[in-house]
Amino acid sequence: MVLKLYGNVVSTCANRVRVVCEELGVSYELIPVEFTKREHKSPEYMAVQPFGQVPYLDDDGFKVFESRAIARYIALKYGGIGRLIPDPKDLQKTALFEQAASIELTNFDFYAGTLALDNIFKPLFAKKMPNPAAIEALKSGLEGRLAGYDVLLSRTKYLAGDEITIVDLFHLPHGSLLEKQGIDFLVSGRWPNVTRWWIDISSRESWKKIASR
Amino acid sequence: MVLKIHGNKMSTCTNRVRTVCEELGVPYEIVPIDFSKGEHKAPEFTAIQPFGQVPYLDDEGFKLFESRAMARYIALKYGGVGKLIPDPKDVQKTALFEQAASIELCNFDPYASGLARENIFKPMFGGKTDSAVVEELKTTLEGKLAAYDIILGKTKYLAGDEYTLADLFHLPYGALLEKQGIDYLVSGRWPNVTRWWKDIASRESWKKVTSA
Repeated sequence: MVLKLYGNVVSTCANRVRVVCEELGVSYELIPVEFTKREHKSPEYMAVQPFGQVPYLDDDGFKVFESRAIARYIALKYGGIGRLIPDPKDLQKTALFEQAASIELTNFDFYAGTLALDNIFKPLFAKKMPNPAAIEALKSGLEGRLAGYDVLLSRTKYLAGDEITIVDLFHLPHGSLLEKQGIDFLVSGRWPNVTRWWIDISSRESWKKIASR
Repeated sequence: MVLKIHGNKMSTCTNRVRTVCEELGVPYEIVPIDFSKGEHKAPEFTAIQPFGQVPYLDDEGFKLFESRAMARYIALKYGGVGKLIPDPKDVQKTALFEQAASIELCNFDPYASGLARENIFKPMFGGKTDSAVVEELKTTLEGKLAAYDIILGKTKYLAGDEYTLADLFHLPYGALLEKQGIDYLVSGRWPNVTRWWKDIASRESWKKVTSA
């Protein structure tokens, strides 16, 4: 039975999952959950995802939410070991993968995700305009973190080592939205290793396919 | 050779890792990093941890940072599989563990750590608490805990009916909420959350880390 992903093509978190499916050639059906109709806050939706967040996965009745958990599950189950995630038996490789996964969430998404929320989604869906001081603080924070990224990416090709993993892919949705906000941190070459890495991961076929729809 | 944790006993993230060591009976040594002397921003430190954040682990030359990654590594290597993390071969149990781990990082930590930053760390280092930010963080955290209460009404712990790292990861910033006069975890307003919090906060491993 085909995987059912409850989300939509605008949702950054649904796209985080979709790009992993595309990488692994895993078929899925996108079941629309429309933000504009507040479907993600309906009782039926929240019975599965109590935070009212998109997406969740239904694999033949087994339900998972949190896009990164969904992505890890798909990678583990559908041929991602050795391609997008390390073999759990390789302790050190797994540890460096987990280090990278934690870096993405605490040192990138915290800033890039909140910038997207404040500059794009809240104005669009909640008519709430951003606080300029808060935006500057987030940008400043992200600049500091990208300096750290540049050091790491001068040592290895990707964030967990010399092979691409789902953690690199996790950066794509919010990373892509930075340019749309006029923030050129990833593409300008100011942090040359970051730009090298970003151009690499954002030009993958899987992402181009997702980003075009 | 004994694990070396470069950090200090005041650091929430260091204590996240120490608790895992205590749970599994893994000996470790703290190599002290003094925030007040800026040792976490010194070149020797940032050569290993380029974000200048504490802690990092040195396991006989293998170096790792990010407290949750360190915790996972220690659990995988030193007998935590089946005790603190599920067997990776159990794909569904692993998925629900990763769901819980992601919930902690996305739906709890930004708010709980943000509150600690505004109310405790900023004043400690000469800054000023922003009360508007505090109110916004508290309101958001309340909404998140309402969802936690639903999840914890169905299972004993966040990933299922067994205690895992995902529960443990909440301890350092969760414990700091009460010190700020925020009683969300203990008041019973969200009864399943309170039941769960009292359980995880009373474990010997946590009591040992917070008393030392």
